[in-house]
Amino acid sequence: MNVALTLFWKDLATEWRSRDRLVAMTVFSFLVVVVFQFAWPPMEPEEAARFAPGVLWVTYVFAAVIGLGRTFAMELENEAMTALALAPGTRGWIFLGKATATWLLISFVQAMTALIFALFFRVDLWTGAAGTATIVAIANVAICSVGTLLSAMSVRSRFRDVLLPVLLIPTLIPVLAAAVNGTTATLAGEALPFAALQPLIVIGGIYLILCFLLFDYVLDE
Amino acid sequence: MSSLRHVRLRGQAIEKRYGRVPALRGIDFEFASGESVAILGANGAGKSSLLRILAGLSRPSSGSFAGYAGEESAAQEELELSRDALRGTVGYVGHATLLYGELSARENLLFAARLHGQQPSREHLDTLLESFSLLDVADRRAGAFSRGMAQRLSIARAIVHGPGVLLLDEPFTGLDEASAAGLSLRLAEQRESGRTLIVVTHDPRRAVELADRAVILHRGQVRGTPERAPIGTSVQQGRSPAFEVDALRDALAQLAGEGLEGAAV
Repeated sequence: MNVALTLFWKDLATEWRSRDRLVAMTVFSFLVVVVFQFAWPPMEPEEAARFAPGVLWVTYVFAAVIGLGRTFAMELENEAMTALALAPGTRGWIFLGKATATWLLISFVQAMTALIFALFFRVDLWTGAAGTATIVAIANVAICSVGTLLSAMSVRSRFRDVLLPVLLIPTLIPVLAAAVNGTTATLAGEALPFAALQPLIVIGGIYLILCFLLFDYVLDE
Repeated sequence: MSSLRHVRLRGQAIEKRYGRVPALRGIDFEFASGESVAILGANGAGKSSLLRILAGLSRPSSGSFAGYAGEESAAQEELELSRDALRGTVGYVGHATLLYGELSARENLLFAARLHGQQPSREHLDTLLESFSLLDVADRRAGAFSRGMAQRLSIARAIVHGPGVLLLDEPFTGLDEASAAGLSLRLAEQRESGRTLIVVTHDPRRAVELADRAVILHRGQVRGTPERAPIGTSVQQGRSPAFEVDALRDALAQLAGEGLEGAAV
């Protein structure tokens, strides 16, 4: 567990000093929102609220791919990944530390994106904000778990920039389907839908446990 | 901090292949606790592959490799280490520094120690930084260090958790003569402290400076194990080449010649 906390501290400290992931994800999210704004036809606020979750989650996922792509890329500098591989004990704690730090960064960027989105599209995100935040937080567990594992697997590949989204997005389809449905309901002012929450919790839990166990083999040569 | 442990490394019929390309072809070795060994050979001889197996970073394709440990003072039997535990008993210095440029020198050491489950005091870190002449720059980002400073910090990082074995892969690469001499001195201090030192190098001069014996690798096979002669004696003729710079250089040149002949055929 201490190893996980150490990785969490290290990732946040290096990010605070370099800000490379935060800046890249935030700028990208902002640009996607701007592009969608141009393509958005005039519509009533009620109608806009029906489309908003889909647009929001497209932005979230692509921004997350950018952040996850950098999760292990920074470990390649000076071959620091070798130092991680040398750590004794269960390597799953390394995964957990990195996934948790990524979860925090991605969640922060998503909160910023939601504010910009609400301003541009005049969508009332405050209605059901707590429910939406819960869905986003749980969906992020699945996104960061499988994303961290795939980022570690693909980082040494020549095709890592292509490989990560190609591998990651298909594994997230059930998560995205449940997250979009859940967000649609919470933005419409309904109660947190159990039908959306249940698959998110189950898939998130399975991904988290599987990735924790599989990470041991990822760092091996 | 944990005291130095006696660690013995033993491999039998070790093979390592990358796809169809063999890097090691059935080599046997044993490195005793406190020994200082240089692994010599040309590029592609299998030196780094062997070192990464010793570090627990890579698994042999076939053959058996194990580490055995015992406490320094106790007269108890050695215990075979699991692969996970073995990684905790070695310190590794690679071609690259394995440092984080955004972290300070002290933070890099703290991170490395915590990764090995230790909570070093500030005094311990400062003592280590002092011994590598880095205390003045302890709070400076490692990314701003010169190559020589970064390499010294890299070795401090490798020993911060008190490993019994220090593995070094071409540690002199990219250093000027003065920095290399300074590094050689610090590695000699590590050897004197009782730590097992296994250094991969292609420079016979550094091998003789640091090691008590050498393992000469050529195309994944052991082609010689010259030893330093005990004081007052000489190495028996025909048993192994003398452990001297010129003799090692000649042995390597001869093997390189074999390689060229092989290529011509």
